[in-house]
Amino acid sequence: MQSLSASTTAGVLLDLSGAVMLLLAFACLASKLFNRYVAYYGAQSVVLAFAAGTSAVAFHSAELWILAALTLAVKGIAIPVAARRVLVARLALKRDAAMSTGLSTSLIAGGALTAFAYLVTRPALLPQGTVAAAVVPLSTAVILIGALTMVVRRHTVAQLIGWLIVENGVFLGAITLVATFPFIVEAGIFLDIVAGVLIMIVFVSGLTRQLAQASATELRELRG
Amino acid sequence: MTALAILTALAPLTGLAAALAGGRARVAGAAQAAGAAAALGCAIALLVTLAHHQPLEGFAGFLYDDSLSGFFLLTVSAVTLLAALGSIIYIGAQEDSGELSGFQVRLYYSFFSLFAALMLASLETGNLGLLFVLVEASTLASAALVGLEGRSRSLEAAWKYVIISSLGVTIALAGTLFIYYSASALHGTSNLALTWPYLVAHAPALAPQSVRLAFLLAVVGYGTKVGLAPMHTWLPDAHAEAPSPASAMLSAALLNTGMYAIIRFLAIAHARLGATYPRAVLLSFGFASIVIGVLFMVRKGNFKRLFAYSSVEHMGIIAVALGFGGTLGLYGALLQVLNHALAKTVLFLSSGDVSLRYKTREATGVTGLLSAAPLTGGALLLATFAVLGSPPFGVFLSELTIVRAGFSRGSPVFPLLLLALLGVAFFAFARTISAMVTGPPPPAAAVTVREPALAGHRAMPDGRQPLPAGSPAPLAGSSAPPAAAATALARPYRGRAAVALTAAPLILGLAALLVLGLWIPAGLDTILRQSAAVIGA
Repeated sequence: MQSLSASTTAGVLLDLSGAVMLLLAFACLASKLFNRYVAYYGAQSVVLAFAAGTSAVAFHSAELWILAALTLAVKGIAIPVAARRVLVARLALKRDAAMSTGLSTSLIAGGALTAFAYLVTRPALLPQGTVAAAVVPLSTAVILIGALTMVVRRHTVAQLIGWLIVENGVFLGAITLVATFPFIVEAGIFLDIVAGVLIMIVFVSGLTRQLAQASATELRELRG
Repeated sequence: MTALAILTALAPLTGLAAALAGGRARVAGAAQAAGAAAALGCAIALLVTLAHHQPLEGFAGFLYDDSLSGFFLLTVSAVTLLAALGSIIYIGAQEDSGELSGFQVRLYYSFFSLFAALMLASLETGNLGLLFVLVEASTLASAALVGLEGRSRSLEAAWKYVIISSLGVTIALAGTLFIYYSASALHGTSNLALTWPYLVAHAPALAPQSVRLAFLLAVVGYGTKVGLAPMHTWLPDAHAEAPSPASAMLSAALLNTGMYAIIRFLAIAHARLGATYPRAVLLSFGFASIVIGVLFMVRKGNFKRLFAYSSVEHMGIIAVALGFGGTLGLYGALLQVLNHALAKTVLFLSSGDVSLRYKTREATGVTGLLSAAPLTGGALLLATFAVLGSPPFGVFLSELTIVRAGFSRGSPVFPLLLLALLGVAFFAFARTISAMVTGPPPPAAAVTVREPALAGHRAMPDGRQPLPAGSPAPLAGSSAPPAAAATALARPYRGRAAVALTAAPLILGLAALLVLGLWIPAGLDTILRQSAAVIGA
């Protein structure tokens, strides 16, 4: 399995997808509305599915086609819809105020992490001129910004989205670096993500309810 | 033999079957224990065969068993059996007292058996990608156990656990990706390039830069599951909030499964890069963990957190031993895995009995355990000495081996530092436990008050302050004779059978530790030497 050259059409498209995914990760980092988190994550997953499709055309690989379809169905549609219905709508989440740093600080940190991603992945590791050399720094940056989102945001839903962005970054790297894992492994990873999101949704709802109950009890205790 | 290997991983699912059939706590617990015993039997049978035969391969490398996986299978299935035995009484008592609903009990056994089966399965695969999938799945199953009690504290701990571990394991996935990439010069099929025996055999053809990065990412990623500092932050919360038998599974089985994953990456890195780079990585993370673990053990408070920090410390010791390397270091590391698993299981199971009786998890709320519950108190005390490395228990032998390995490998600074830290750990840990087991038990009334909240300092019923730290016996005058107080302590279960069943896993675990401290069976010795050779002595 050879890595694609960066100058082919598929290479340019993959490079572009990586850049758009990085921008969407930044958008998520900079946003303050729960609805937007979910929307940006969904858009990023659709771009990832597009990248997988591009790769599938380039390699004539049926497995990559299935991967692209799975990405679109699970990450692009199912998870965003579930997150919006079960978490954002039912728990009435609107603005996310729980940040441990200011917005501008976290954006500057995001920029620094992107530069760091280029610094560590460029030299010696990847052959020059391949699409991997162009996209792996981008995917590393997506991973780091997803992790940064998890660190600066204190709300559980925001942390969940941050983890999903990290997963997207790893998948982007997987598509460009090695085309694909063995299919059983790939399917297993998808199952894990779905199960993970389900169990996290249970915890998030439970926690939010308990907190809401706790504040309601306090209100009752304070009453004359 | 393939069937035997598959049966090992499937046997613990009896608990799931019993829970789905609607069994109550004791029935489901008995089914779970039977399944775990079957798994242990299969693991031993497998180990006996593996000691004399070639490694077992099947399904294009997705199934792969050698001595190393056999040894970890033995450890994990033994811990599962002890924890399942401990669950019967612990979960049964919680069901009787209404702290857990019937649904929660069924949930407990479903996820307990899934957790055990997934861990055993992850030890049996030769494919690094499938290893990731199974380890992540076992994280999710165990997160449900941590959050089982549904209080906001346990949900918070479960959330912290699932989100930090998932992130960590995702980093390990990136490491797996780079190891796969490093093999792109090889002309194997896509399955083979992720199968670690193939990678070790073709190590010279791997790209060294990728292997370096992959090893570091794997240590950070799977190290999150192992609880290596500074990725250990989920560990004390999860261990403190899970039901005690589940804490035993986390500490003694899950952490070791993570360590197994690191060891597989270590074997590849060692074959390609030599000893220096892996040694530097493992020694750094190992010593960081020991220091963090020891520092937090000095603090008094929740005794399950104390055990959790002791796990951080011990995982650090194992990482350091792997870093020392050589046959001696690897032998010591593996022996330490088994010994620590047994000792920590006994500790957590006896702490479960303590929290059933005293209705608290704070060390300051517990005194006079030896007179209130001689068996549990005795087991707790013996397991404490065992885990701290006193002779004649197994941990002493394995830590001695590790220190010897350190001295035989050049600079004496590291083994001396290790010895000093072990000394501090001894005093910090024993100080808390000795205050718990000695002295008269608290007055009867204080214990019979049923408080659902286990946390924080319980106020005494007559308005006195809670027992201050370090003074176990301020109760002169008001305290009843120990015997009378003991009868009025919360009695979570009655009857000889229940007492025997509570004692069984404690005595079994301590007996195994004692045997390992006095004499290492010839078969185990062979397996350990073979495993050390697999890692690359």
